Amino acid sequence: MTFPQQISLGRIARRSGFDTWSWALGSYLIAGVYALIVIIPLYFLFVSAFKDNTSIFLNPLGLPSNFSLQNFFNAIEQAGLARALTNSVAITVSAELLTLVLAFPAAYAIARIQTRMSAIAEAIFSLGFLIPALAILMPVFLTSIRLGLLYNPLMLIIFYPATLLSLTVLLLSSQLRSVPKELEESAVIDGASHLELIWYVFLPMARPAVITALLLNFLSVWNEYLFALVLLNSDSRTVQIAVSTLKGERIVDYGLIAGGVLISMIPVILLFIFSQEKIMQGMFIGAVKE
Amino acid sequence: MTSQTYSGQEQLASKTEALPRGYFRMRRARSRVAFLVLILPAMLWFLGLMIWPLFNMFYLSFFRWNDSLLNPKLFIGLGNYARMLQDQHFWHGIVNSAIYMAVDMPLVLLPGFVLGFFLSRRPPGSRWLRLVFFAPSMLSVAAVNLMFVGIYLPDGILNTLLRQAGLDQLTRVWLADPQTALGAVIAIDIWGSIGYYGILFYASLSNISEELFEAARLDGANMWDLIWRIALPLSRDFFGVAMVLNFIWIIYGSAQNVLILTKGGPGDHSTTLGYYLYNQAFVAYRLGYSQAIAVFAFVLGLLGILLIRRLTRRSEVA
Repeated sequence: MTFPQQISLGRIARRSGFDTWSWALGSYLIAGVYALIVIIPLYFLFVSAFKDNTSIFLNPLGLPSNFSLQNFFNAIEQAGLARALTNSVAITVSAELLTLVLAFPAAYAIARIQTRMSAIAEAIFSLGFLIPALAILMPVFLTSIRLGLLYNPLMLIIFYPATLLSLTVLLLSSQLRSVPKELEESAVIDGASHLELIWYVFLPMARPAVITALLLNFLSVWNEYLFALVLLNSDSRTVQIAVSTLKGERIVDYGLIAGGVLISMIPVILLFIFSQEKIMQGMFIGAVKE
Repeated sequence: MTSQTYSGQEQLASKTEALPRGYFRMRRARSRVAFLVLILPAMLWFLGLMIWPLFNMFYLSFFRWNDSLLNPKLFIGLGNYARMLQDQHFWHGIVNSAIYMAVDMPLVLLPGFVLGFFLSRRPPGSRWLRLVFFAPSMLSVAAVNLMFVGIYLPDGILNTLLRQAGLDQLTRVWLADPQTALGAVIAIDIWGSIGYYGILFYASLSNISEELFEAARLDGANMWDLIWRIALPLSRDFFGVAMVLNFIWIIYGSAQNVLILTKGGPGDHSTTLGYYLYNQAFVAYRLGYSQAIAVFAFVLGLLGILLIRRLTRRSEVA
């Protein structure tokens, strides 16, 4: 009785890339347990946003009995989320564009113009991977005062690209290197300048890397906490900071927090649904180069 | 293939003959100027807003500059560093960061490797598991920490579940209890990081040629052999990468968790080195002193990176 069953289980296990069904079972068990550990808090956050506090804590994992959107409205009002979202969008979009405008010509120069300086430039940019945000928080804060830009979102629009340049230049230049030389040469022979080359040849060719960079930079800027906390005030603050104010010192209204956090996560959830594979790849490249 | 490239080059050669003499030499000379023009904006941006602040960090660490930005800076040489060595809170931060590292690093990297290996075999369903494992990495620190507020509350999900399991004696105010505050913060990091490193290990193991595994299989290797003799040795370099990332995150990134959840409390019990740096700069307003801590953390980070690289670099003999 057990004999044929074992054979078939073993076959299933091997097809899954494992020796025996006990290996397969053990592996799936470990992965499944961790998946549950990841999912439960996320699920808890999600359902809590639709519940009031008593039902959150009486029955934390149960589905909400009556779907109420009250928490979302309260969060928007109490944390000024409408304004904060506007600030976040403005800062993120501007910083993204500025990063690309700065990084693309630099990446092009490093990848395609042959001089000894390109290795030096590359080395300088890669220093950025060694400089943690917290280390330069105070000096940047002082700079913002000197520039008269403290509490002004413009400071973050100017500053964030500097932190994003290392990875962006790296992503773009490695893609630009792989563009075949013939393509460039025929354009040069037709009399194209560097700017024309960038615009008509390399920007289209580098589209995958540009998209990866845009995605990763979006996440960094949208999710950034420390600089937004220090450099902005209650009028100019981003959604991350606004949502954090929902946590009172003494009394905690978790439904309210959950509602606010979910709102702050909307664009991230969209990115997750539509482009996680690309983000995973990009993060891997970034991690290895660091 | 080769004949095609040849004909391509010939074609190009015939085209270039039509150009005036010295065209390419002129282009080389011009190209240096072009290089500088193209790279200058990004380079200035980077030098001005990343490298210059770093120099400022060193510079400011030699001054006493307290309470208000309007107060004069007083040059005190290495005074801040001398003070740092006698500061109990600072040492508390070091000890807590060391605990953080001792707990976090093995509990994140080893399961991360195991999950990464599992995923790299691409078993059925691994696409979905990858999605789940990666999800926490996309969330902001604020979102993750605020999410856990509800889990750690006195009436939060953790205590509720413990009570329902009849383990009332284990319930506590996780973030305000001196015994559990630091652990609770570390647990949040572990929660998301295992999946993050799982994905990174998965990506790095996917680069190992499948033929290597197949060949080992044909030689009669079992799963243990695949893990111990192929995946683990070939991941040695990548373990170095992962350790560096994790190390830097623990020194600096942890500050944000502490800031949002406990503000270092109760007492000093969850004050990490990174949080103490933030605290001295933006809560206690000891601007110069805070930068001495920043320099310390920076040097510690560099030394750690060098050490990890040295330990994990594949030896030349093998």
